[in-house]
Amino acid sequence: MRCGDFKETYIKDEEIFQSLFVKFWLGLFFVFVMVFPFIADAYMLYIANMIGFAIIAAVGLNLLTGFTGQISLGHAAFVGVGAYTSAILVTRLGFSFWLSIPFAGLVAALAGMIIGIPSLRVKGLYLCIATLAAQFIFEFVFIHWESMTKGITGINIPCPSIGGFEFVTEKSFYWITLFFVVLGVGYARNLIRSRMGRAFVAIRDRDLSAEIIGINLFRYKLSAFAISSFYAGIAGALWVTFLKVVTPDHFPFILSIHYLAMVIVGGLGSVLGSVFGAIFMTLVPELLNYMSEIVKMHAPGYEEIFVPMKEVIFGVLIVLFLVFEPRGLAEIWNRIKNFFRLWPFSY
Amino acid sequence: MKKTVIFVLSLVLCIGLFTVSKAMAEQNPTICAVHPFTGRFAFAGIHGADAMEDAVAMANEEGGVNGKKIEYYWADGEYKNDVGIAAFKRLYAQHKPHCMFGQSTGMTKALAPEIKDRYKVLYSAYTFADIAASPKENPNMFIAGPTYSEMFGVLLKYIAKEQPGANIAFFYSDTEFGREPIPVGRELCKQMGLNLVAEEIAKVGGVDITTQILDMKRKKVDYCIFHGFVVTPIQNVIKQSKDYGLKCKFMGTFWSTEKHLLDQLKGLANEYMGVTAYSYYYQDENPMIKKIKAWTQKNHPKFADYRSQAYMQNFLTMQIFIECLKRADKSGAITGDSLTKALESIKNYDVGGLMPPVTISKNHSIPVGRIVRGNPKTMKFDAVSDWISLD
Repeated sequence: MRCGDFKETYIKDEEIFQSLFVKFWLGLFFVFVMVFPFIADAYMLYIANMIGFAIIAAVGLNLLTGFTGQISLGHAAFVGVGAYTSAILVTRLGFSFWLSIPFAGLVAALAGMIIGIPSLRVKGLYLCIATLAAQFIFEFVFIHWESMTKGITGINIPCPSIGGFEFVTEKSFYWITLFFVVLGVGYARNLIRSRMGRAFVAIRDRDLSAEIIGINLFRYKLSAFAISSFYAGIAGALWVTFLKVVTPDHFPFILSIHYLAMVIVGGLGSVLGSVFGAIFMTLVPELLNYMSEIVKMHAPGYEEIFVPMKEVIFGVLIVLFLVFEPRGLAEIWNRIKNFFRLWPFSY
Repeated sequence: MKKTVIFVLSLVLCIGLFTVSKAMAEQNPTICAVHPFTGRFAFAGIHGADAMEDAVAMANEEGGVNGKKIEYYWADGEYKNDVGIAAFKRLYAQHKPHCMFGQSTGMTKALAPEIKDRYKVLYSAYTFADIAASPKENPNMFIAGPTYSEMFGVLLKYIAKEQPGANIAFFYSDTEFGREPIPVGRELCKQMGLNLVAEEIAKVGGVDITTQILDMKRKKVDYCIFHGFVVTPIQNVIKQSKDYGLKCKFMGTFWSTEKHLLDQLKGLANEYMGVTAYSYYYQDENPMIKKIKAWTQKNHPKFADYRSQAYMQNFLTMQIFIECLKRADKSGAITGDSLTKALESIKNYDVGGLMPPVTISKNHSIPVGRIVRGNPKTMKFDAVSDWISLD
């Protein structure tokens, strides 16, 4: 009987699908996501889409913060840059949605690279403040560059289409979101086992040592900012196209914190962690809302206590996760996996 | 074994028949709402949620919609766009409502294209923004009161009558809410022969407002109109204006013409005037206010002393929803189109003194307001004008 999971080559160690266990569960999960739109109602599909956008943005932030160690408090701004780029290209220049998506990513990546320049001189809390400035600068631009962004009024965006088919419902948009999530997660998973990915991790662990062994800090730090912002831009473009409107209100500072929380709760330096974090941070508040409706229905009068409490419960849940598993949900998942993998000889 | 199979099959059949019959049964008139029950707009949401529940309960006691019981469901949107939209979608998926009420301007903007093309529900919200009063773009939306622009219209009409050619200052927050009526306000000043001499911008909750006060003093402002704030910095501007010797009258729009501002102003309450769209809770000479008061004392004793203007807004909106449902039901079927037609047919509809008899304008709003002034002795607002209509 096989017990444990031993690898004898580095190639084996770097494989994406490392065991039959992983292949089986991923296969089952893939079947589920393919069947899901046919069994879910519009609300569940709306949430699924929102989770998808959050996953793309969180994976991007994890590449920067979790893998490269560069903390960013301006991720929402890059999401906004992508969102506005797509909206402006589609509504002003007549681009198709499909063409606007890569441009949204590229413009956001450019913005990310510019904001990332201070990372060459400053790190830690100082970099935090530099990226925080980006958040406020872009918020200001979204509101006050009225000739381009239509200011507070925002821009209405038509729904994407192929031929005569319009992606107007949550169900049809789900397929677009799923495509980009698979692409984004797949690329990130591959990136981290490439030379660039290893350079990111080396910079995170000790940038001075990384430079000594020949890693070009300028190139890789800016690359991390560019790739992270590219993801954010794509997420933003998808999100606002799904909502059919973009206003500056969509990208407040708190959204940047929210993305950071996704990455930390999910697990820093783990692509799977970003996915778990995005699911947790999107789904748990919804579940709490659902519970508050049950309270309203079955214990009328108590909603006045429970409804405001859900924010507290959400906060406590995050704190508990961080206290009991500082390495995030990804580590909990690993422990569960190992339990089954080693069972019954867990020692 | 055979018995078990028969039992299971019968059970499945029964459940199936029950589900089908439930689905086929005619749906009761249904209304859903997303309230900002928590978050920074909770001061309005807590009263608003009760108002809608109370209005539905009262209507059901009186026979509902032509004998059909009205169903009402709500969820907390936390005054966040994403949470509000999710709540909207959840409520719609669960209850397929005929009418929906949203929590903010942002949520209304985000949902406008889908409400028009997909959901086709009669929609209103905790907003007085023009987007909900533009039937060409959004035929299913309405505002149960004046828009922010129309509130400015009422204020400026009052000023033009009191002091023709007065110097005006707009004092607004740098937010979507704050900037909304400013372009229309500028135009209205020109039309009414008023001099717009200053536009001051401040942060919501900002405390450093000396520059703005000195600028208004330099420009000899006669009337300063606040918009985009609920309390702070209004009370600070009024208090500090006294110190700097600025002699001007201060006015505000709906959300700041509320008791909590008077509580902050205390002895300076009479320095503040505002435009309101509805009668206040203490104006119980109006039969509907009397009814609301009795209902609140019985069912929500915690709020027996005061119900905010948000309560009145929500209560009136629900009255209009119910009236539209009645009219649409009588016309044959309750659909988005029949509800919009019913809405547009509302003329001189008596709302028991909550506001003057309601006529929905061609913009799907009720362009009526009244100027009130704070009373430092009673800490209430007293009416200083009759209802001013812009039509």
